[in-house]
Amino acid sequence: MDQLILAAAECDPAEEIICAPENVLELFEFKEALFSIGPFDFTRTVFLIFLAMSIVLFVMWWGLRDRGSLVPTKFGAAVEALVNFVRNDIAIDIIGPEGVRYAPYLLTIFSFILVGNLFEVTPFINFPITSRMAIPGFLAVVTWVIFVVVGFYKNGFSYLIDTVWPRSVPIALRPLVGLIELVSIFILRPITLAVRLFANLVAGHLMLSLLLASGWIFFTSVGDIGARALIGLPWFVFGLGIYVFEIVVAVLQAYIFTLLSAVYVQTSVHPEH
Amino acid sequence: MTPEAADVLKGAIALVGYGLAAVGPGIGIGIVVGNAIQAMVRQPEMAGMARTNMFLGIAFTEALALIGFVLFFIA
Repeated sequence: MDQLILAAAECDPAEEIICAPENVLELFEFKEALFSIGPFDFTRTVFLIFLAMSIVLFVMWWGLRDRGSLVPTKFGAAVEALVNFVRNDIAIDIIGPEGVRYAPYLLTIFSFILVGNLFEVTPFINFPITSRMAIPGFLAVVTWVIFVVVGFYKNGFSYLIDTVWPRSVPIALRPLVGLIELVSIFILRPITLAVRLFANLVAGHLMLSLLLASGWIFFTSVGDIGARALIGLPWFVFGLGIYVFEIVVAVLQAYIFTLLSAVYVQTSVHPEH
Repeated sequence: MTPEAADVLKGAIALVGYGLAAVGPGIGIGIVVGNAIQAMVRQPEMAGMARTNMFLGIAFTEALALIGFVLFFIA
């Protein structure tokens, strides 16, 4: 049994077969700095973050630059539709009339995550920046700070008291429910918010890499071209099918992150509901 | 058992654990989406609200599977 497991785990880098990464922590860390400014390493991921930021800024500026004129351009109308969607369908529908105040933040994270996710299926980039834990982690921390601060600002210290000692449940259950609520609101919410985005994008990126790389390896291996194509082509077609699916996932995950941020803010604004 | 074999075996057990952790949320998401579709078909004018709440329900159910995913990396 030992022999079998070790044989399966063996990986000879001399052969041109893609091995499992030695260290899965690679997924969580930045590495290979292009250049460094003081203590700040400028990696490919950092470059893509700035690229995503520039794309969002440019699209917003280009789309809304002639908003003074009576007839918007086609592109301007599309950008307005996006802004309206986040403002009306997410911010106002969920938080209520005062949700307008949070619409700029929600629009920011929605557009940034959307562009970052779509890098996954952009040819020649093919790397979703949201599959590095630092980025969804940071965005989740920002959302966490906002809904905690709003909760204390709107309700005072009773925000915390009502969480750990909920008046609407029978008194015998209050310590248990309070503990669950405390852990769920202050610890699990930001973690699941970050990990949901991260996990979906990592899984999608791995799936695309594995399927398309399998197709490539079978195509370029030795042997009869007919036999190689017979094995390689299904992998390639399957990979392209997943490609379309990943576009849906990229948009859906950006939407869900924004939606949940709005819901968390809403629970802080109206804690009793 | 050698330490390397123990490492590999640990990874294999973590994989099985993630598979088990995905079963419950899978069933849960099925129930959530199925009932949301029923609600949308019965009350098409409330479809927007049902859809929003469906995504919320999915998000909360999915959290368990995500914890399993993270534990797979930690293990």
